[in-house]
Amino acid sequence: MAEEETEHGQVNIKDIHWLMDMLQSIDVGLIVLNRDYKVMVWNSFMENHSGVSPALIKEKVLFDIFPSIPKEWFRQKTESVFLLKSSTFTVWEQRPYLFKFKNYRPITGSADYMYQNITLIPLASADNKINHVGVLIYDVTDIAVNKLKLEEANNKLESLSKTDHLTQLNNRGAWEGYLEKEFSRSKRSKHQCSVVMFDIDHFKKVNDTYGHQAGDEVIRRTAALLKETMRITDIAGRYGGEEFGVILVDTTAEAALVFTERLRKRIEAEIVEYEEFKIKFTISLGVSELAEDCNDYKLWLEQSDKALYVCKESGRNQSKIFSES
Amino acid sequence: MTTQVLICDDSSFARKQLARALPNKWDVELSYAANGAEALDLIRKGKGEILFLDLNMPVMDGYQTLENILKEDLPTMTIVVSGDIQPEAMKRVKALGALEFIKKPVDGELIVQILNNYGIDIEETRDAADELDANLEIDLDDSYQELANVAMGRAADLLARLLGAFVVMPIPNVKHIEINELEMAMQHIKSNDSISAVCQGFIGSGVAGEALLIFNETSYDDIAELMKYDGEVNETAQLELLMDISSVLCNACLNGIADQLDVSFSVGHPMVIGQHIHFDDILKGSATQWKKLLTIEMGYKIENRDINCDLLLLITDDSIDSLNDRVSYLLV
Repeated sequence: MAEEETEHGQVNIKDIHWLMDMLQSIDVGLIVLNRDYKVMVWNSFMENHSGVSPALIKEKVLFDIFPSIPKEWFRQKTESVFLLKSSTFTVWEQRPYLFKFKNYRPITGSADYMYQNITLIPLASADNKINHVGVLIYDVTDIAVNKLKLEEANNKLESLSKTDHLTQLNNRGAWEGYLEKEFSRSKRSKHQCSVVMFDIDHFKKVNDTYGHQAGDEVIRRTAALLKETMRITDIAGRYGGEEFGVILVDTTAEAALVFTERLRKRIEAEIVEYEEFKIKFTISLGVSELAEDCNDYKLWLEQSDKALYVCKESGRNQSKIFSES
Repeated sequence: MTTQVLICDDSSFARKQLARALPNKWDVELSYAANGAEALDLIRKGKGEILFLDLNMPVMDGYQTLENILKEDLPTMTIVVSGDIQPEAMKRVKALGALEFIKKPVDGELIVQILNNYGIDIEETRDAADELDANLEIDLDDSYQELANVAMGRAADLLARLLGAFVVMPIPNVKHIEINELEMAMQHIKSNDSISAVCQGFIGSGVAGEALLIFNETSYDDIAELMKYDGEVNETAQLELLMDISSVLCNACLNGIADQLDVSFSVGHPMVIGQHIHFDDILKGSATQWKKLLTIEMGYKIENRDINCDLLLLITDDSIDSLNDRVSYLLV
């Protein structure tokens, strides 16, 4: 019986030795802190990446040895573990790292510093009180870098799929998407919002007389002047061939008309030089302010189109506000 | 003398659990009610000298029931038995005339102690509990719901302490779905709502799945205020708040379930699925082999605030046997 117990006891101690060895060599940082943020356990991962030995940091306040740790942030997380006796997790998206560990792999290292996920766990004493917190530091550099790269690529793709190649304005799909969004936003917030549709007068003639490339240059110049004239918060798009749309947020029809007139005059004064040609052109613009009873963004857009049509009918090179009559 | 005891809980599983926890040597006639309205009827008929009352129930909840008992001055002694263990809930029911507040799952010894404190004689005998089983059929979904209810109560308690506010707990919603029906399973999330989501996997003793926390983005300003977060509530701040809340809720809820089932889960690191996304983005990039899922939806609301979040437990199809096995012990 006694022999069995010894046997059993030895196995346990051996088990613990093995476990300790593995805790030392695991690629995860392990720290135990007491209530005063003094370090009680500091494993090899922490030693090797920080260059601070357990002997040096043991019983020392963590923040004294690592002043670069965001103290308030870390305290807040830790105190909630003590208070609620519940683990808490942070991800690299919140803060890239808690400890600034430099990249240690010359070939496969993918970032300058190690990205870290952190788990804080309550550690109970024998009396079931939580007097210590366990901190687990995971190296997630590769995951983080891959995700960031993927996000960047996706953003680029998304922006490409939304942009009109010739003018670098929003393309029709993207612009209509914004229009729909602004429509619901203005409805909800009861803010004024106006939409402008305009096109280049007799554009077909420009193309026929000077060629398509000259036509492209006219469109490009129109877009450039539009960008210069509008506010940064306004949203412009190329709606069709020579047709453009602009969403003017927080803007009444009257204020929008000031904008359209300014743009119209700038374009009227512009001369596009293409090869030996000096091309002069004009635009017509229709304005519609979002009305309370308008329940569809398409209807709203249609109204500005109708105002544009009225301009065309009454001689072009002008801008008008939509009216029901 | 036979005491008229009434157990009022919407969950048949919880009714059974409580009936079993009552002392064997107590001469009682038991009646059951599935909501407050039913309970009031039975009390008026003299069936509820002692009332064990749950708080979160459809039709008429525990608070309303207590109000009515006070209003009509009905002859009953009420002991509240609740998964909602927020100190504030306790305070409120005591103010409404409840004698005691017992947290779920109920502890039989505590009941005896309470009954003794009120001088209730439990010396006489009655037949074994077997007779109860015949008229108390339970179904498994009902037991999952009760399991979640208790776990949710613990999570709500921690959340309430973190935010310093009262958390309103609705009844958990249990469904068996195909993974592509996930969106339909969610009751209060509209497909074009802007949400943030965090997921955390868990596994242990044959039960596995993921806890998914969905946060309605309109909630951020209120949360920031409650957590006394200074500064602009920008994207990074929102992520901080989201992670703080999800750590507390997911953990407390999973621990609550694990404790009841007498297992312990290994819990993975949370994954941020996205901020400012729509519900259907959640399943993008998921290549799960699990087609069928058991889902338990737990909605949390903060009283007087525009704060909504949903904690969804998604349990894999192959966990069901182990889960049922464990659940059956809860009634022994």
